Amino acid sequence: MPSRSIDLPQGTLDLLILRTLSLEPLHGWAVSERIQQISSDVLHVQQGSLYPALHRLERRGWVKARWGTSENNRRAKFYQLTKAGRRQLVVEQDAWQKLTAAVSQVLETA
Amino acid sequence: MLLHDLLFRLRSLMRRSAAEDELDNELRFHLERQTDKYVKSGTSEAEAVRRARLEFGGLDQVKDECREARGVSFVESLVQDLHYAARTLLHSPAFTACAVLTLALGIGANTAIFSVVNRVLLNPLPYRNSQELLAARKNDSLPNLEDIQRQTKSFASSGGINIEPMDFTGKGEPVRVHGAYVDAGLFVTLGIQPMLGRWISADEDVKGGPRNAVVSYSFWRDFMGADPNVLGKAIRLSDNSYAVIGVMPRDFTLPKELADVFVSLWVAYPDAAAERDVHFMHTYWRLKPGVPLAQAQAEIAQADHRLAEAFPDTEKERGTLLIPLHEWLVGDVRSALLILFGAVGLVLLIACANFAMLLMARAVARQRELMIRASLGARNSRLIRQRLTESTLLALVGGAVGLVAAKAGTTLLLALRPAELHRFDAIPMDPRVFMFVFAISLLTGLLFGLLPAWSASRGDIAEALRENARSTATGVSRSPLRSFLVTGELALALILLAGAGLLIKGFLRLRSVDPGFNPANIITMYLQLPGTRYPQIPLQTNFRRELLARINSFPGVEAAMITDLPLAGNYVGHRVVIDGQPTPAVGTEPEVQTLSVMGNYFGVMQIPIRSGRDFRAMDREQQPRVAIVNEAFVRQLFPGQNPIGTRIDWARSDEPHEWMTIIGVVGDVKHSGLNQPVDPAVYAPFSQNDEAWRKFMTLVIRTRVPVAGLVEDVKKQVWSLDRQIPVSGIQSMDDLLAVSVAQERFNMLLLGSFAALAVALAGVGIYGMVAYRVNQRTHEIGVYIALGAQHRHVLRLVMKDGVKLGLLGIVLGLAGAIALTRVMVSLLFEVNPTDPATLIGVALLLAAVAMLACYIPARRALSIDPMTALRRE
Repeated sequence: MPSRSIDLPQGTLDLLILRTLSLEPLHGWAVSERIQQISSDVLHVQQGSLYPALHRLERRGWVKARWGTSENNRRAKFYQLTKAGRRQLVVEQDAWQKLTAAVSQVLETA
Repeated sequence: MLLHDLLFRLRSLMRRSAAEDELDNELRFHLERQTDKYVKSGTSEAEAVRRARLEFGGLDQVKDECREARGVSFVESLVQDLHYAARTLLHSPAFTACAVLTLALGIGANTAIFSVVNRVLLNPLPYRNSQELLAARKNDSLPNLEDIQRQTKSFASSGGINIEPMDFTGKGEPVRVHGAYVDAGLFVTLGIQPMLGRWISADEDVKGGPRNAVVSYSFWRDFMGADPNVLGKAIRLSDNSYAVIGVMPRDFTLPKELADVFVSLWVAYPDAAAERDVHFMHTYWRLKPGVPLAQAQAEIAQADHRLAEAFPDTEKERGTLLIPLHEWLVGDVRSALLILFGAVGLVLLIACANFAMLLMARAVARQRELMIRASLGARNSRLIRQRLTESTLLALVGGAVGLVAAKAGTTLLLALRPAELHRFDAIPMDPRVFMFVFAISLLTGLLFGLLPAWSASRGDIAEALRENARSTATGVSRSPLRSFLVTGELALALILLAGAGLLIKGFLRLRSVDPGFNPANIITMYLQLPGTRYPQIPLQTNFRRELLARINSFPGVEAAMITDLPLAGNYVGHRVVIDGQPTPAVGTEPEVQTLSVMGNYFGVMQIPIRSGRDFRAMDREQQPRVAIVNEAFVRQLFPGQNPIGTRIDWARSDEPHEWMTIIGVVGDVKHSGLNQPVDPAVYAPFSQNDEAWRKFMTLVIRTRVPVAGLVEDVKKQVWSLDRQIPVSGIQSMDDLLAVSVAQERFNMLLLGSFAALAVALAGVGIYGMVAYRVNQRTHEIGVYIALGAQHRHVLRLVMKDGVKLGLLGIVLGLAGAIALTRVMVSLLFEVNPTDPATLIGVALLLAAVAMLACYIPARRALSIDPMTALRRE
């Protein structure tokens, strides 16, 4: 495990998953790869915690799952954002941006 | 969103095996892709698999978390837990039986009392819109009732009823039945339709109206053979023929009265119906919908005022007070029932404390299993939940057994029930009772399962483990929860014991009250002469004299007669005036009980003559009128004087007065109840009776030896004089005395058995604690004995904690009892609710029980063989 990677702050995994899925439907392994790639390997997603999160999002109706064929021609479970999921993504993105803005403001002025 | 969630969970649950397969496939796919990735980057196959698995974490744990995320895990693990709990409970039948029995006792007793409370206090009365029904506290007359109904707007209807015995003749032995003299408004007010036929209509309810009768279901069944074509048939009631026009439904009961036949008062007794100043009707009122009670009460007060102005001679002291029917009916028993309900709640608490201690002991016994499960990664919350499942399962089974016990208990309660509860001939288990049982079982299981589970998670288990490992000789277990439970249950047991002790003391005081007569060996019977055949006083007197003479000719018996028996609850009250004293204003004359007697009544009843003389044979018709008064009469009307020779008469009787001379004073007799004060009473001979309506009498027959067949012989004599006179109310004076204290006996027996149950449970609780500790400290005690400790040292060592906690509980219980027993004041007879002798007595009793409960298991400690104990190391 690269030493410069950091663990995800509590509650951000859902946001990252939703954001990743907003581009295209992906299976679980691809979601974790994509998050690592995009964050230039800084963010390290504990692979074990990815699947409970995906199932939780599915239960809430923000993503839906269907079985399809993967890039290496295997059956895989693909997750796709629903309309409610898109709305949730907007909400969570807003909240995140407000939070980070506020935190950086505090860090800069204090 | 919520619906989606629910459907999703349900679907997941339904397709569980499919979902499990999918989960497997999904995760396997992930691992394969990850392995591929490492293989492609040049890692060896084996190393790639290893790295992928390592990165992923525990596969089973991830699966578990996924299930939980999908929301299936709760139900699934509940099913699992239940299965597991059932299996482990079946493996330890002794523990399971103890726990179920403990809870079944507590829950059963609660359910039995709750079903009575439910039936008596919570269920609505069986009348249409019964919340609109009111009863007047005082009786009234029909003319007044009709006037008030006309003058007020608040009431939809009103009705009156008076119960008098009637003779039903024509079918075998003459029978005395309860006749209800009513007006047509009564059943409109109660809102009940007859099962067959119809009710007496308003146009028939007039002087000279047709002689129609409505009969009760039981009368129809017992005396008319449940004849479906009964309508229009004639029955003979007190020498008059009535046509049956209706049969009441089977489950119908009057609010307070018992009645077999209903007839119109205006038809049956037009003269009595017209009398405004004789208030003998119970009256019931139905409010118009939406009218508040206060408004109705205000209106009726105005009507009372108008009546008082119109009839100042007789109606001056009106004051009709209306109360909701339900309150009127249950007012007397409510406080007793609520106290019993509270008491039985304490019993349940004690049972629960024992239940919790059983669970704790079991948890310690099973700590190895729990430890293994915990080290295998079972989370604490999961372990607690599993134990809760077990305790709840136990509680529900206990509740089910308790329900069966409660069913038997209510049958017993009904057999013991006092007169106030007599109209409740069945205590059904309705859905509310089932809900109650379910709720308290669930609550018990959760709450008292949580206590030990919670205390275990806080380290008591760890302590217990240490203890069991016998690694430290000083490892004395002082689980604070267990100590709390033992102290608490002893305190509660003491409160119950104090309550029971006070009731018992009050009951003994009540039973030791001198009733004023000797009830032993006296048989009583009630007779009533039909007015049609005995309209004049001489005819009545002849019948009485002849009957008495015939009974007194039996060997070994002595018989006399009185109008109303002591303790039977009835008497005729009259106002009196005293010769030579100024006549008091109308309505303020002193009121006294008036009793007519014949034969050697005072001798038979062994009522002492205090001064003057008894009646003699010469005190008869055509002779100077005489009377005997009781001591209360002298105390209230002739304080400090000798009343003998003074003359009295009924107030407002026609001039000139026919004075009665007081010839003697007899001892006071408890007429209204052992706990009631004695009212002034005047006894006069039946033969000098001047009221033809005094047609009734009660025979009192003292037998020197038990006489077989006496009742039948007396009946024969009655029927040889008149074949159509029913003989009823056959009971011994001892029975009558017992009935008069039935309510007190009921309260005492119930609270007494609750207290006994509580003491037994608390004793078992403290016993269990000491036994447990002896068991845990076998090794330490063995060492102690090996070092030469004497028996008393060992006893002191193991009993110390139990005795200390027991005493603490008793002291706390005493404080609680002093605070709580005052709610019982209304149930106690001449006993102070903080009666020191009782409190000290019950405290000593409980202390003795607690000592014994400590001593029995402590003795086991003495028999510990040091060598065996040490070898167990």
